[in-house]
Amino acid sequence: MESILSLGLALLAAPLFPGIILKVKALFVGKKGPPLFIKYYTFVKLLKKGSAYSTSTTFVFAAGPIISCAGAIMVLFFFPIGAIAPVFSFHGDVIVLFYILGLGRFFTIAAALDTASPFQGMGAAREAFFGTLAEASIFAILILFYRMNGSLSFADYFTGLQPISLTSPAGSLLLLVIVSLFMVLLTENSRVPVDDPATHLELTMIHEVMVLDHSGPDLALIELGSFYKLFFYSAFITLMLCPLDPARGLLNLPLFYAVLALVYVAIGFIESVTARFKMRRTPKFILTSCTLVFFAAILTMGFNK
Amino acid sequence: MNIFLLSLCLIVVGGSLPLLTYRRFVLTKFLYALTTTIGCLTGLFALCTSYSHLERLSWSWSWLHTFSLSFTFDSLSFFFLLPIFLICPLAAIYSFHYFDDEEKSFRIAVNLFFTNILIASMILVTTAGNMLTLALVWEIMSVSSFFLVIYDYEKETSRTAGYLYFLFAQAGALIIFASFAVIFSHTASFEFNGAATLPESTKLLVFFLAFIGFGSKAGVFPLHIWLPHAHPAAPSHISAIMSGVMIKMGIYGILRIYFILESTNLLMGQTILVFGMISGVLGVLYALGKHNIKRLLAYHSVENIGIILIGAGLGMIGLSLGDLTMAGFGFGGCLLHVLNHSIFKSLLFMGAGTVIKQTGTAHVDQLGGLMKTMPTTGKSFLVGSVSISGLPPFNGFISEFLIYFAAFIGLQYPPHATLLLTILAIISLAIIGGLASFCFTKVVGIVFLGEPRSKQFTKTTEGGLAMTIPMVILATACLIIGIFPQQFIALAVNGLRDLNGLELLDPALCTAIGAQLALASRLFLLIFVVIFFIRKVLYRKKEITSGPTWGCGFTQGTTRIQYTGTSYARTVVSFFKPFVMLEESTIRLKKIFPGQTTYTNQVGDIAEAGMAKGLTGPLVNLLGRLRWIQHGNVQLYIGYIIMAIMVVLLTLFI
Repeated sequence: MESILSLGLALLAAPLFPGIILKVKALFVGKKGPPLFIKYYTFVKLLKKGSAYSTSTTFVFAAGPIISCAGAIMVLFFFPIGAIAPVFSFHGDVIVLFYILGLGRFFTIAAALDTASPFQGMGAAREAFFGTLAEASIFAILILFYRMNGSLSFADYFTGLQPISLTSPAGSLLLLVIVSLFMVLLTENSRVPVDDPATHLELTMIHEVMVLDHSGPDLALIELGSFYKLFFYSAFITLMLCPLDPARGLLNLPLFYAVLALVYVAIGFIESVTARFKMRRTPKFILTSCTLVFFAAILTMGFNK
Repeated sequence: MNIFLLSLCLIVVGGSLPLLTYRRFVLTKFLYALTTTIGCLTGLFALCTSYSHLERLSWSWSWLHTFSLSFTFDSLSFFFLLPIFLICPLAAIYSFHYFDDEEKSFRIAVNLFFTNILIASMILVTTAGNMLTLALVWEIMSVSSFFLVIYDYEKETSRTAGYLYFLFAQAGALIIFASFAVIFSHTASFEFNGAATLPESTKLLVFFLAFIGFGSKAGVFPLHIWLPHAHPAAPSHISAIMSGVMIKMGIYGILRIYFILESTNLLMGQTILVFGMISGVLGVLYALGKHNIKRLLAYHSVENIGIILIGAGLGMIGLSLGDLTMAGFGFGGCLLHVLNHSIFKSLLFMGAGTVIKQTGTAHVDQLGGLMKTMPTTGKSFLVGSVSISGLPPFNGFISEFLIYFAAFIGLQYPPHATLLLTILAIISLAIIGGLASFCFTKVVGIVFLGEPRSKQFTKTTEGGLAMTIPMVILATACLIIGIFPQQFIALAVNGLRDLNGLELLDPALCTAIGAQLALASRLFLLIFVVIFFIRKVLYRKKEITSGPTWGCGFTQGTTRIQYTGTSYARTVVSFFKPFVMLEESTIRLKKIFPGQTTYTNQVGDIAEAGMAKGLTGPLVNLLGRLRWIQHGNVQLYIGYIIMAIMVVLLTLFI
């Protein structure tokens, strides 16, 4: 029951947080910024609209948004939001979930190529390349976690007998992981400095240019999927930052959401103080995150003696 | 009466019939497809009915009164027979519409004949009960497939490909025979059983020789060079059989030799694992750089053989460490991937064959928009692409998951070399998965989606029914294995039932894993369906318009402006530059209104270049220096003979 409640809450609350990023960015440049609920407003607005489809497209174009959104929702079913046991969980679910996210990327890219637009092809090539590199970092993190507590599921990472937290014996390694995972978060969710969601030039876009042709409810699904994906990555970081006691159940949620909001503030902060990298530098950025975790994984050889 | 022998007879007869009836073209093809399908189904029936006591199917035959040819069945041969009996009939049906040039009817008949000889010899390879039998049927398999590769023998490229394949097949066979000879020199018998008594160092020698020999058939890097040449040359359903089934015989050989040696040396597993990782990553990288769709698929076979070997290597390491769970998952994943790869790879080759046949080109960058004109082929190809990228809820993911599982179990063992290797195995599996989906978004996106890049392809039509139905069946199989994984995981694990030193995985654990994977894929499908219907509701009574793609303010002049496969893959290919030899022309725009420019890009294979530079170059050089011996002067040749006889006589009698 608790699990379903917290899942439902997360599904409803996820669009709120990107509003925080916008607010932080606006404050940095001395503006008032859009209202916090802006993403809900746009969502409803998009749902009310119809769509225009390009004559070049096929069913793949329509399938892209559904699959990417379904994948992002599926991940939340397995994630212990606020250290509350998730709805489903099994040993090995992390592998399945990252592959499900990969499936979402496959169809987003296919949908982009379906429009026959050269700009979308360019965005697709970049997304596919950076996504592949980020996958290496993610699996390096999974290796490290397996070395730390021998489990392969989100539930066991944070609600198991030996939860992964900064206070555990090998907790100092998590500092490296948090930095690395934050870099992966920026990459996978197309944030600055890898990608700039606010840019207006198609040539410099990655993710935005891939969804240029989607409109109406299709675009709403894409947006929703990206909120959930960002929520998942931020929640992952949040649980590493502040160890929560699974026994306290729903009482964990206020603290969890407070720290989660801080993660979003950090994203907004990064977006305000840095500019987007040149495309050539992005692979190095992602590989840095991979190297950090790999280094941490090597260090665990010392802890297990 | 052994039903299994009946199936073999049917297959051979089915292959020989076309040689007699080739003048009646349609009848020939029909009879061939019918007999071959019935033959394979009979074999499948024989296997399934005697599943619990396979040894009853065995038979032996004394040959020339000196050797005995024996054929035995165990769980491993059972598992490798499955792809043969499942894929080959579909390929036979596919050939019905694929071969439609009546003028070449005799050549087609010969091709059909050798196809069935290949099928029969593959069946015999998996059941060969001693070394002599294996050597004999292995040769039949290599030679018959050689004739299939040179189907288009008028073409220079086909002949080169055939020659290259022949060289690799024969050199590989030579090395396999060498390893058998080493066993024979110790045990003085052709039986496999004695091999376990060999001294440890000899076992290593036997294993590595066999690995090189069987590996060259399987397409392990760097012995894969023949694959990307042979597949584009052969007819597509032949590529489907060769890539889907025949190269797995190499894997079968490696596993068989490993298990008869009963060695637990850690070095074997580690070597297999390292070669698996190299084949996997480099195979998919080269695939990304290729423009010919069949050559690209051939490199993907190298990649998948890599994944299979990673599984096998982890299994062997598990056995050496005494961890039977790790071994079970490693070998189980390896076997399941053998089956899965045979399904989706033959599906993809058939799809590629249909595209090439209907459009007349195999160049990825010239095609486009085929999803609209060839919907069934396009959808099946899409399913195959998602499966080969190892994405859920399709079958490729299930086997990769098992291999991941074995690798994660391996992480808890302290020997540093093993730990490092398992870490690398997991990361390379992740990279292989990422790059494979990169590569297949390229194929699907460029070939089937978007707009046709040339006007001539706007009127392409779907292939004949005999071509589409096998693809639909295979695509369905991909989904079924993905949604009902329990039975197939159990099947793969049971493939290890009769092997020494390997106790079965706990069936409860297998069922649990299968049930969890089933839960995950069904949950995903459920969410998908729910969102699908919500979307449908949202679009009710909405205005839906259509128009051209938003061109960012620039109206599209020509469909050639679309991104091509070359440009799509260029960044990632140049990122891995030391490993791929990317040769491209530079473009310099000189004037304000630049004229026409050209760009070419070619990705070279380091194994091919290395072999040319390090092996064939020096060899040709050396042999060139000896050319003076052969000068065409008959008198001197007679002189050589007399000299040789004299030397022999002198050394013998003095």
